[in-house]
Amino acid sequence: MTARSTKLGKWLVSGPPLAYLVVFFAIPTLIMVLASFRTPGDFGGLAPLVEDGRLDLNLESYARFFTDAVYAQIFLKSVGYALVTTLCCLALAYPLAALVAGSAKRHRDFLLLLVILPFWSNFLIRIYAWMIILGPNAALARTVNGALRWFGHEPVPLLFSSFAVLVCLVYVHLPFMVLPLYANLEKHDRALLDAAQDLGANAWQRFWRITFPLSLPGVYAGAALVFIPALGIFAIPDILGGPGDSLIGNVIKQQFLETRDWPFGSVLSIVLTVAALLLAGLAAWIGRRNLGAEPVRA
Amino acid sequence: MKRLLALFACVLLAMPAIAKDQLHLYNWNNYIAPETIKRFEEFCKCEVVQTYYSDNEELLAKLAAGARGYDILVPTSNAMQALIKGGQLKPIDKAQLPNLKNINPRYMNTPFDPGNQYSVPYAMSTTIIGYNDQKMKELGLPTDTWAVIFDPKYLQKVKGRVTVLDSSSELFAAALKYLGYSANDVDPKHWEEAATLIKKAKPYWAAFNASSYIKELTVGNIWLVHGYSNDIFQANLDALAAGRPFKILQGMPQEGAVLAVDNMVIHKDAPRPDLALKFINFMLEGKNSAELTNLIGSGNPNLDAVKYIKPDILKHPAIFPDKTVEAKLEQLTDLTTQQRRLRNKLWTEIKASR
Amino acid sequence: MRNRRVALWVAAATGYAFLYVPLVIVIVYSFNDSRLNAEWVGFTLDWYDKLFHNEEMLTAAANSLFIALIASAVATVLGTMAGMAMYRYKTRLLPVLVLTPIAIPEILMGVSLLIFFVMINFTLGIFSVALAHIAFCIGFVAIVVRARLSGMDESLIEAARDCGASSWQTFRYITLPLIMPGVIAGALMAFTLSIDDFVITFFTAGAGTVTLPLQIYSMIKIAVTPEVNAVSTLLMLLTLALIIIASRLTPTLLRSE
Repeated sequence: MTARSTKLGKWLVSGPPLAYLVVFFAIPTLIMVLASFRTPGDFGGLAPLVEDGRLDLNLESYARFFTDAVYAQIFLKSVGYALVTTLCCLALAYPLAALVAGSAKRHRDFLLLLVILPFWSNFLIRIYAWMIILGPNAALARTVNGALRWFGHEPVPLLFSSFAVLVCLVYVHLPFMVLPLYANLEKHDRALLDAAQDLGANAWQRFWRITFPLSLPGVYAGAALVFIPALGIFAIPDILGGPGDSLIGNVIKQQFLETRDWPFGSVLSIVLTVAALLLAGLAAWIGRRNLGAEPVRA
Repeated sequence: MKRLLALFACVLLAMPAIAKDQLHLYNWNNYIAPETIKRFEEFCKCEVVQTYYSDNEELLAKLAAGARGYDILVPTSNAMQALIKGGQLKPIDKAQLPNLKNINPRYMNTPFDPGNQYSVPYAMSTTIIGYNDQKMKELGLPTDTWAVIFDPKYLQKVKGRVTVLDSSSELFAAALKYLGYSANDVDPKHWEEAATLIKKAKPYWAAFNASSYIKELTVGNIWLVHGYSNDIFQANLDALAAGRPFKILQGMPQEGAVLAVDNMVIHKDAPRPDLALKFINFMLEGKNSAELTNLIGSGNPNLDAVKYIKPDILKHPAIFPDKTVEAKLEQLTDLTTQQRRLRNKLWTEIKASR
Repeated sequence: MRNRRVALWVAAATGYAFLYVPLVIVIVYSFNDSRLNAEWVGFTLDWYDKLFHNEEMLTAAANSLFIALIASAVATVLGTMAGMAMYRYKTRLLPVLVLTPIAIPEILMGVSLLIFFVMINFTLGIFSVALAHIAFCIGFVAIVVRARLSGMDESLIEAARDCGASSWQTFRYITLPLIMPGVIAGALMAFTLSIDDFVITFFTAGAGTVTLPLQIYSMIKIAVTPEVNAVSTLLMLLTLALIIIASRLTPTLLRSE
């Protein structure tokens, strides 16, 4: 294969998605990155870029972020929620993905569809269903609080609490952990596990030393597709969060709507995005160090 | 199933261009009775295409980013102020609105739109207290003062059963009124006082919620809310329909409350301003205006509509306040950028506090 | 051996239960004789009846389905290409461009796309929404395909080349079947994301364009009636039916090796 044909191949394959994302993502986003250096318009939107012949750019909004500790505080809280969500998703998704991947071929597609089917109903309706499940008069709350009362503890609200927010965060993100894990587990060679068993490994050893390491690319993909979006979520705290469950996504939304401070909203968004990408990059780097480098072609 | 597929095919075929006369109405959901729309469509021989927003701020954000194609918008007065100052509205030709005389002069020529160059009042609501009458009686709590939302001595009886609106302007307004200031007070010291008051009460509240609180109130999970009069009116109807043993009542606080007047305005790039004016004049007829009030219990600035409104709705002081209550109601004015920033900083700190 | 199978089944069953209890409530409450989605009052078919007379809601559902089909199809193609490119070649810009739409807050992306469309005078409507959806779905597909490719056995590709297969033949008959589960997983994710998106759709929709999430969210402050449960249930079943039909019609294309 000549070097020229690989170069051509590279552009043929990476060209279309690159072009699409440059036009419909990079350019619009750069507009808003520029906005983070501008001043808010008096009545919404942005003040004119050129004021009296001068370029009206400043670092005011960035300064506000770095001087007011409360934004960093909320940001860290959001990271915490996203981490817990990711770990819970992993715990719940792994058995599901393993079951689907290990099933006979004729059942596999059906079981996979069964996992994703609930997510084609509307998001709001599903959250409302959780409000019914977690409501103070529903069976779950009554059982839990009954047990707590028995131990002399005050009743806890299941609804409008961090617990409700986390349950729904896990629920909403579960398919994005199941699908990448499934795509990876599906290609595992049964023969490896059989060989290990023949050599005397028990079930736990087979899982921990063969299956799990091989599934790590799937785990990382799923973790990225759960952790990163979970960082920016705002709808779930809005609908069933408690008074203390305001996350960075809520603050960002407020900047664009209530406060009409687009520059500051852009600053918060940029910080969030950069932080998310850095964390993802860090995780990928740690993963590569532990597993050895991936094969990459020039 | 067949109908759905047929509709699907129709949508595909109809997409290129629909040449029919269309009026694009960008409105709150359920803020106009379906019968009214049908009658207008027959009257003007046109089609009314409705799209919805659930918050003034969504409307403002979308228009500020440059969205076009809407004829009529229905912003609340403070949002309308922002739109007028931002040059987003088309002046109204009052000569084409003979029915304008039906509106109560008290709601015309306000500081929000002097001379009504751009707007016509549409419907109103107040932000008040909603409560489960059975529970309030049981616990012996007052229902005509903001104290029941802010004072820990009352709050401890309803801990975890109270929600407040997730809106910094509405909650600060209630706190300022309770402290004896105007809802539109912009003194930063007074704002700090209000913030402290809110932070003290926050541990007793179940949630800051503007969306699902009415549902929870109607079902009996929540007993006391800071909410909109329309929603509370509707909650009572739902509670009755479900056969609950309690009623959901409106409590007008004696310290005063926020009045929200929603207005019909025309967007500067409206494709059909002629149809828009026809629509506004149509809605200024008492009969048409009354239909919304009868549907959702909204306040009505139209004097001609009174004879068409159900008598039991006219009796609600939160919907049709008398002179003494009216004097204590205030409409919110729009804030400057610096004020909005300070307000947001305080709000974020409140949300982050323990 | 048997204990492990049982343990796996129990764990997976818990997962399925977690997924389905809320869904069962959604379906059951579509028959609830109460405006509110909060407590069971009684059984009725009224909401389905109301739904079939509600042109707005039906059009919104049709729009959502249409947009989701286009967006997921295009995003799957572009995302698979991106995933392969990221695996095979040393690209620096592509991974960033692919990952950032996932990280960026939706409201920023929505506002920026609206400003962009207005700037280039692109009429807002169904297609502006589809274009926006494709932009954020590509990343999800790309990441899954990339993960599927890692650790792939290169010897099969080399063997095909040695036998004289062209690049396209190698891709069509070797690579594609190998990555198909990843492609399908990505497509399913893209479809799910598109059909339920609210924020970005809100900003990029035209004056007369309504999708189901837009319609439903606007009801949030009043009452999300069981009509919404009904349309959700029906849309879910319709989508399931479409997928089953599609998989029957193209068994060779979708079959994974």
